[in-house]
Amino acid sequence: MIRLVTLDAYDPKVIDRLCKVLYTAFGVGCEHAGDMPLPGGQSEPFDAQALLQALPSPRAYADDKILYLTSRKLKPRSLVSGDVPSSGFSNQNGPRALVSSAGVKDPEAGLKLIARHAMHQLGHTWELHHCLDPRCAMYPPWTLNYDAGDTFFDTFCRDKSEQKIRLAKS
Amino acid sequence: MAETVLPPPLTLAVGDRVVYPNQGVCRVTSVESKEVAGQTLTFVTMKREEDGAVVMVPEAKVRSIGLRKVAGRADVDRVFTFLRSDSDKANLDWKQRARTNVERMSQGGLIGLAEVVKGLQVLSELRPLPTKERELYDNARHLLVAELSASLNIAEVDAEDSVDVVLFPPGRERPKRTAEEFRTVGGEEDGMELGEDLLELGGEIEVGAEAEPEEAEAEEPAEPAPKAKPPAKGKGEKKAPAEKKPAPDKKKAAAKKPAAKPEKKAAPKKPAAKAPAKKPAAKPAKKK
Repeated sequence: MIRLVTLDAYDPKVIDRLCKVLYTAFGVGCEHAGDMPLPGGQSEPFDAQALLQALPSPRAYADDKILYLTSRKLKPRSLVSGDVPSSGFSNQNGPRALVSSAGVKDPEAGLKLIARHAMHQLGHTWELHHCLDPRCAMYPPWTLNYDAGDTFFDTFCRDKSEQKIRLAKS
Repeated sequence: MAETVLPPPLTLAVGDRVVYPNQGVCRVTSVESKEVAGQTLTFVTMKREEDGAVVMVPEAKVRSIGLRKVAGRADVDRVFTFLRSDSDKANLDWKQRARTNVERMSQGGLIGLAEVVKGLQVLSELRPLPTKERELYDNARHLLVAELSASLNIAEVDAEDSVDVVLFPPGRERPKRTAEEFRTVGGEEDGMELGEDLLELGGEIEVGAEAEPEEAEAEEPAEPAPKAKPPAKGKGEKKAPAEKKPAPDKKKAAAKKPAAKPEKKAAPKKPAAKAPAKKPAAKPAKKK
């Protein structure tokens, strides 16, 4: 089950449509688990990793994935080999993911982009690595044409995520 | 492969982090003697960090298995330098590529994993990878990321992004590769035809390049000297000027002499393939 937690105000229609897209992509139920305030002590642009760590978890089962959605900007991440713009964060095989819709002015019109990034971060929580297919949502999100892509997993990523979901205990 | 020389003997102690080829990062949990079939053997017991799977290896076999300590900072720097370079192109012969990749995965160390990842990533820019190679790519990437993460003491997601920032630089468009880039580096085209068939390739590039010399031969009646050469060369791409000349002649000849075509070897194949498509279209017309 995917539990969507909003950290800012969103139109319920947008949330509803996002849940439908995620349900279609992973074949797992998705529901809005409520709103949550942003934790104090941090300012915009947020460090995605620190923000995700500071956020409390809603009530969920062991294999549930929690997706936090915010409209705030995220800081570029500093890595060993360089900096990379950040639109979200999640740990490999972790239970939680964070996605920002900061680059989307109208969430209703830009839902596809938000959903693509959400699919990407949730994919990491199901141990998906970055993909070679530019059409796939698991393609590195900082690449040039990523935002123009569709809410789509290539065959390999879809099969792998389905397998991981099937192996989940609950 | 550069890593053909056997590594120095490995002394393992409890708590050491090691890499088991094709399995990932493990931690040594015990080194103990056991009696097996009347012989006393020393076993190294390791626990895979990823999922806690336990592996026992006789100490005498540690070296031959390819077990090694987690790569150091110098190795990691070598890997990033290699990933940044534009030198590595996968072999277009799928058999040789598979053999090399298996060897790299088991004996190549961290740089071997990077070679597999980069080789297949660059190849994917030419054409989509077949399922087996896509799996191999994912495995190699998984092992590379796990070892980098252990070596640099960072999260796996950071290690993966560090690799991908180099492989897929931000703001740069995905390059479109041509078969020529791979051929000049690989230099061997013997397995090309078989590889194409088995890998279900589109054949837009290679088929055209290989078909050209054959057609050129057939449609050059005026030049006896070049006629004899192409069959002997077969796959020579380096003599580009010689191949380029017949191409325009071909088109002209095709336009001028349509009646001569059916006599040639290549021509009968084409109508045979097209014929079944035309027949069904003609039938409904008769019925009407």
